[in-house]
Amino acid sequence: MKWSTDDIPLFVKEREYVDTAVLPLLPIDFGDGIRQSGAMTEFITVMSAEIEKQFRGRMLLVPSFTYLAQRDIKECRREVEEWIQEMKKEKMKHIILITADSSWKKVESELDGLLVWMPLVPLENMDTAYKKQVISEQIKQLLPLVMDKWKE
Amino acid sequence: MSDEQNHNVSRRQFLTYTLTGVGGFMAAGIILPMARFAIDPVLQAESEGDMKAVTDVSELTEEPQRFDFSYDQEDAWVTSETTETAYIYQSGDEVVALSSTCTHLGCTVSWATNEEYPDEFFCPCHGGRYEKDGTNIEGTPPTEPLHKYEVEVRDGTVYVGKAEPQV
Repeated sequence: MKWSTDDIPLFVKEREYVDTAVLPLLPIDFGDGIRQSGAMTEFITVMSAEIEKQFRGRMLLVPSFTYLAQRDIKECRREVEEWIQEMKKEKMKHIILITADSSWKKVESELDGLLVWMPLVPLENMDTAYKKQVISEQIKQLLPLVMDKWKE
Repeated sequence: MSDEQNHNVSRRQFLTYTLTGVGGFMAAGIILPMARFAIDPVLQAESEGDMKAVTDVSELTEEPQRFDFSYDQEDAWVTSETTETAYIYQSGDEVVALSSTCTHLGCTVSWATNEEYPDEFFCPCHGGRYEKDGTNIEGTPPTEPLHKYEVEVRDGTVYVGKAEPQV
């Protein structure tokens, strides 16, 4: 379910069925890395929308956690941890963090959730049909990860 | 002389015929596009309508297969391309197209992905199950069958329309 006026009432009504939150982590860079930052945002936004579509009945797509790219990743982790604990308090059993920023890998073990790091696929020079194919291939890899998490 | 004149066309008659003929064509040339324009909605409705070409009939089997198709959807201020997934199969002479949206909370179901239930649609979210014709199985969360698309087969191509509830 999306963070929208259509879906949130449904979420409130059917909470018992929704036990998973998806939180995209997006680095923001206003300097030289702005291209990279834009590409990551686009890619991760598309990916998280696709996962939401597959599993919309059991998932809540949370608005992205954005942070300045030059910030210390440990600090970001502390903040994300706060989000996670807050969501867990509200009976979200599974938290899925999805990002293209590899620095999260360094703090993966300290995160109380499933970190999905997807290497950035540059979508800018692809035609629509190919873009869709690439995304759906990526999604296919991701689905079993989520389903395994649910089996825990 | 007078006999022969009857068979010949006089200058006056010739001009009348030609002008009527040419004038007729000109009038038709002007009026037809206008008429077409006026009854355009009627012509539109007669053609494709909202049906979308999805696949060739030759591709279909008795086993449900997954087909994706997209269309533009306008929602307030965003026009987005929406992709829908249908499971289409042949049942005797009939072509059946079922929506892949779980009737419980809208996850995407798939055919025969759960090893324990090889001949059923399965929803990975809460374990909802449906039979091949879309009927929901008692004891699983969904309360109604999978929605069914309007299907039309024309010249060997399968077109699907809107997905409607089966009950």
